[in-house]
Amino acid sequence: MNKYITAYYLDEEKLLDGLKQVKAKGFKIADVLSPFPVHGIDKVLGLRRSRLTRVAFIGGAIGAITGFGFQAWVFTMAYPINFGGKPFFAAPSFIPVAFETTVLFAAFSMVFAFLIASKLLPGNDPVIHDERVTDDHFLVIIDVADGSSTDEISKIEKALQEAGAEGIKYKA
Amino acid sequence: MENLTFTLTKKIVTICLIMVSIGLFALVYGVVAGSGGERIAANILLNNYYFLGMGLIGLFFVAVHAIAESGWQVSVQRIGEAMSTFIPVAGVLMLLFFAFGGLHSIYDWTHPDHIDEILAKKAPYLNEPFFYIRLLIYFTVWSLLAYYIRKSSRELDSLNDIKYFHRLRKFSAIFIVVYAITSVMSSWDWLMSIDAHWFSTLYGWYVFMSMMVSGIALIIIILYLLKRMGYMTHVNNEHVHDLGKYLFGFSIFWAYLWFSQYMLIWYANIPEETIYYYDRLHEFKPIFMINIVINLAFPLLVLMTRNSKRVFWMLIPVAVIVFIGHWIDLYQLIMPGAVGGEKAGIGFLEIGLTIGYLGLFFLVVFYSLTKAPLVPKNHPFYKESMDYHTNY
Amino acid sequence: MYVSPIREPLIRGNKDYSQVTKDILAPMAGTPSKYWYMGIALALSAALFGAWATYVTLFTGIGSWGLNKTIGWGWDITNFVWWVGIGHAGTFISAILLLFRQKWRTSINRSAEAMTLIAVMCAGFFPLIHMGRLFLGFFIFPYPNTRALWVNFNSPLLWDVFAISTYFAVSLIFWYVGLIPDIGTVRDKAKTKIRKAIYGFLSFGWTGSAKHWSRHETVSLILAGLAAPLVLSVHTIVSFDFATSVIPGWHTTIFPPYFVSGAVFSGFAMVLTLLIITRKALHLEEYITVNHIESMNKIIILTGSIVGIAYMTEFFIAWYSGNEYEMFTFVNRAFGPYAWAYWIMMTCNVITPQLFWFKKIRTNVLITFIISIFVNIGMWFERFVIVVSSLHRDYLPSSWSMYTPSVVEVGLYVGTLGLFFTLFLLFIRVFPVIAIAEVKSVLKTSGENKNHSEHE
Repeated sequence: MNKYITAYYLDEEKLLDGLKQVKAKGFKIADVLSPFPVHGIDKVLGLRRSRLTRVAFIGGAIGAITGFGFQAWVFTMAYPINFGGKPFFAAPSFIPVAFETTVLFAAFSMVFAFLIASKLLPGNDPVIHDERVTDDHFLVIIDVADGSSTDEISKIEKALQEAGAEGIKYKA
Repeated sequence: MENLTFTLTKKIVTICLIMVSIGLFALVYGVVAGSGGERIAANILLNNYYFLGMGLIGLFFVAVHAIAESGWQVSVQRIGEAMSTFIPVAGVLMLLFFAFGGLHSIYDWTHPDHIDEILAKKAPYLNEPFFYIRLLIYFTVWSLLAYYIRKSSRELDSLNDIKYFHRLRKFSAIFIVVYAITSVMSSWDWLMSIDAHWFSTLYGWYVFMSMMVSGIALIIIILYLLKRMGYMTHVNNEHVHDLGKYLFGFSIFWAYLWFSQYMLIWYANIPEETIYYYDRLHEFKPIFMINIVINLAFPLLVLMTRNSKRVFWMLIPVAVIVFIGHWIDLYQLIMPGAVGGEKAGIGFLEIGLTIGYLGLFFLVVFYSLTKAPLVPKNHPFYKESMDYHTNY
Repeated sequence: MYVSPIREPLIRGNKDYSQVTKDILAPMAGTPSKYWYMGIALALSAALFGAWATYVTLFTGIGSWGLNKTIGWGWDITNFVWWVGIGHAGTFISAILLLFRQKWRTSINRSAEAMTLIAVMCAGFFPLIHMGRLFLGFFIFPYPNTRALWVNFNSPLLWDVFAISTYFAVSLIFWYVGLIPDIGTVRDKAKTKIRKAIYGFLSFGWTGSAKHWSRHETVSLILAGLAAPLVLSVHTIVSFDFATSVIPGWHTTIFPPYFVSGAVFSGFAMVLTLLIITRKALHLEEYITVNHIESMNKIIILTGSIVGIAYMTEFFIAWYSGNEYEMFTFVNRAFGPYAWAYWIMMTCNVITPQLFWFKKIRTNVLITFIISIFVNIGMWFERFVIVVSSLHRDYLPSSWSMYTPSVVEVGLYVGTLGLFFTLFLLFIRVFPVIAIAEVKSVLKTSGENKNHSEHE
């Protein structure tokens, strides 16, 4: 996909209204770049709820089992040793460390999953469509299918214009 | 247009009265079947404390949100206010119960022949006159503040002047301060002194958190009942989600306090402290284990997903089970010391009496709900609460 | 989303999004002011004092400290707990206040989190230096070794290792994930090529795509959900260091929640101390408003009162327990040779914060600043009282003793203070001190120029 149209809004509410209008006309919005998360945009763009929570849950479960299991293994099998008359399998003693490993695994697995899934990695060199996107511009991107006629392109541009977007640009 | 006036139908009153008569019948049954004075007394204390706690948490819920200037809770604020009207009822029952023999049936330290060297040291605090003085102070202060908080909330409603909102906040602040001290002290008086030799600094906060969890569960249950009757249509999934999050979060916090107290006593292994858990881990082992499973593991696993906190068919079973769970928690706080493993049990006496108290509690709460519109329309955050949607 | 008109605005002045970016990035641009240089010179010289003290400790040993057989823990643990406590506010603000949807957190969370990270570094230094051999510090981690020996998982000190390192790691990623969009802003506003390249590298290629924002919000929320119990667990485990023992004054079940509350209390005091200076120096009064300060002061009253109730509960139960040793410890605390420390603690922690009940006082920036310093001092003395006064008179009167820190211990403490301020001063030059994207997201609803008609 290397042909697309960009246009921007300066206000998130106008953006939402505009997106709805453009969408109603049957155009598919490829992406919206914004300086902060816009409330309600997920619905307009039809984004699914993130499944990262499941990653966190699985990571946490592995962390809990690892943390608790490792301590139990050390104290009952690898190196049983008597501390203060406590039983070798001193479950209450294992809980603090098991809790910490749970949180550690859950947090790290989720954050890494987030960065990898979003292709956010150090040294990444993304296309910066507009440097004002991280300031106060809300940029709409609509993909143009290969081999579209100029007529189809101007249709999209017109739809954007009617929806109140500014700075409409066609990029090939 | 939403119906904001709650009408107490005959059906509700009848059901509540049937429940109360089951309770009375259970008491009679306890006496006839020879359950023993200690067991009957301990059960009355258990239920009275439990439902008193529900009333206090209802008030606490209103007060703490008023102070924190939270907006969403306006939609369910009246439920908390109505719950608080049970406080004076519980107070009268508690006083009557203690005065007519309850005190001596439960507390060892009231028997002069049981006073040993350690209890003698505690006598300046654990003696009958001071006990009654404290009891009267607690109930007077709580009832008065509950009255004033409700009053300012209703004046805000009818007179629509922001000054009543500030008054509500002022009384709420006073209540929070008073309650911070009295909730701890009252739990020492009524619960911790059952095992008169034993002591734990965390005890008061542990009991408070236990009441907090079941109080939130009860708010959810009452909300559900009202919705079933066709009221509270303004309460949407987002409000329910918040209550669900409370239930989830406080359950974990309760478990944290449980673990802190247990682990420290287990680890230090000082006999004068471990004796408390010795009783509970031997004669009351099933109860002790059930307590952790249904009050921590169950809500933790079921309420972890977002949806289960938002839909009633998932949330209500959890709320009901947690509500029962914290009754069991209170049971294991009271019974080992007050009754002992041989005589205690869970039979018709326990269940029937709890149903009776629940009936009485609902009767009072539903009656109070008729006294004011179901939503405080003139609350400054009313609109925020109605226009309530979040991303998470 | 509708916001009631009786709520105070969180951002003062008539701002638009672009203005917000400009205001918050302003402190990073240009050469630092002379006050910044003076500050960092002062901080670095304090750190140098600490470096000398570290050198002495490593080459001559712990004997250079004022510890003795009776008092085996002194300033080192006091400072450790104090710093960990300070490190609680940042994650409390960004995690727990996020869960409670307190919008005012957006102006203060970034710098408070940075402060947390630095404070935890300072805290971690003390247990390490107390080992005497820094180069063997890795012994505290369970790693396979030729002796087939594992660490003692029954020891609360080991739990500390796990708690502090997890806390640091999770706080770091929490902070950084939140920072990524703002680094993107810095990148796009950068004037020079080098700056652009560096911030471009650090921004991980952030574009502000809707999909990324959606995931970013989920990640922040779940991280907050994970960090909230983590905050609780850290100081809980620190309190276990004391409470699992059988020493009167240390072994008490209220310690875990009471320590957590005290930690948040001291953390907020340090946040106030720092931010009151920062907002003035960086001209951020319109973002960190008196309203923010008031909200923080309310948390100070709350946590300070919880701490106060815990003190009284401890004292009462010491008497109620009927245990003479327990009672002795508490009477000795209040009226023994270290009574001065106890009463400083009581005054600073229980009495002065109560002044915040008056609205006039809690909205007065200067008085707040002074009280916040009082609280910092009070919370340091709390740890000192717990550590030293419980130890110095044990069961055997012949071993009763007193403790005075040596100049080396003072040096280590001053050194960490120097390190703390050095790193914080660097932070305000390198990263935006306020979460730009988060402030923008509440600007419409909570800015001074909010327009209600549009939202209804």
